[in-house]
Amino acid sequence: MKKIPVASIEDSMVVARDICGSNGNILITKGTPLSAAMGRRLESWGVSSVYVEGEEETTEEADIERESPEELKNHLIEKFISVIDKPLMKKIFNAVFEYRRSKS
Amino acid sequence: MSLNILSTIENLSSIPTLPAVIERLTRLLQNPKTSAEEVGKAITTDQTLASKVLRLVNSAFYGFPGRISTITHAIVILGFSTVKNVVLTTSILDAFRNNGNSASGFNLDQFWLHSIACGAASLSIAKQLGTIDKEECFIAGLIHDIGKIIFCQYLPGEFDQVIKHSIDHKQLLYKSEHELFQCTHEEIGGFLTEKWNLPLSLQNAVKYHHNPSPSHEHFMITAIVHFADILVRAMDFGNGGDNFIPSISDKVWKSIGLDTINFHTLLESVSDEVDKASVFIQMI
Repeated sequence: MKKIPVASIEDSMVVARDICGSNGNILITKGTPLSAAMGRRLESWGVSSVYVEGEEETTEEADIERESPEELKNHLIEKFISVIDKPLMKKIFNAVFEYRRSKS
Repeated sequence: MSLNILSTIENLSSIPTLPAVIERLTRLLQNPKTSAEEVGKAITTDQTLASKVLRLVNSAFYGFPGRISTITHAIVILGFSTVKNVVLTTSILDAFRNNGNSASGFNLDQFWLHSIACGAASLSIAKQLGTIDKEECFIAGLIHDIGKIIFCQYLPGEFDQVIKHSIDHKQLLYKSEHELFQCTHEEIGGFLTEKWNLPLSLQNAVKYHHNPSPSHEHFMITAIVHFADILVRAMDFGNGGDNFIPSISDKVWKSIGLDTINFHTLLESVSDEVDKASVFIQMI
């Protein structure tokens, strides 16, 4: 599953997560094939991005926004500052760090 | 002499209230002979509430594939308990809307984002456990910090002092609240949920989310909120007024079974639920 801006929707892409309008109603359900025309319509309904099936692609833009592992670690250390020496909190710290690093 | 925060709040005449329909609904649902039509009729006496409930049950958060057009239909499809929880959630969020007063150092948007995320994370943990009412866990997470909003809206000057103290001493808000005023947002939230006559499970989860031990038979729901709060802080979903992480209680760790849990899967599902719960933002 990957998140893409509606302007990048191409024919035959498949919705990976229900698309909701600004009032929260479901506009298009998961599994529905999309088309570029539907992308334009979604845009007119105020939807900015959608989840479609497929692998996440690494783009230059994503690289620019990416937080380095070192920055992420320092940020989390600051938040965990008073609890990091407790073994259970260290486990949570490591789990969250690994998860967020895998997503950034 | 320091101000007695709790008695000041208890004596306020303008504390938010829940609509009368909640009490009527609770009474109706206690009777096993109550029909979906009767409950639907009770909810639709408040048209604004009814339309919000319909919007929510049709949102991705409840994920029902198809249009639910009446409250009675919603009850038939989703069940009494879910619809009651939606009504309760809607009413609680409504009770806090448009109260202009607020402490200057407190970001309300971030606060609500933290609250909604905590609700979504609690729901996600409850889903994994599979042994506890997940929608009640959502509400518990959503309202766990409700005492902060009362504190900041009704005593903004004092709450600003708390925020400053927490930043200066690099500690959690509730510790500063206790040091400055011997009263925490947990106690204030506990008072409000009791005044609102919410179920004891919710009262306990709000009152003891930083230290779940005294919640006795409602320990599990309180433990879930305690852990959810830690996770959403670590994930940077919103901000509840301070930027630190509370320490997890050993008893909570054991009860949820965190030694054997797959954290990656849990965090993935928490992130997904937080995404879906974004519909609640529009209600605040």
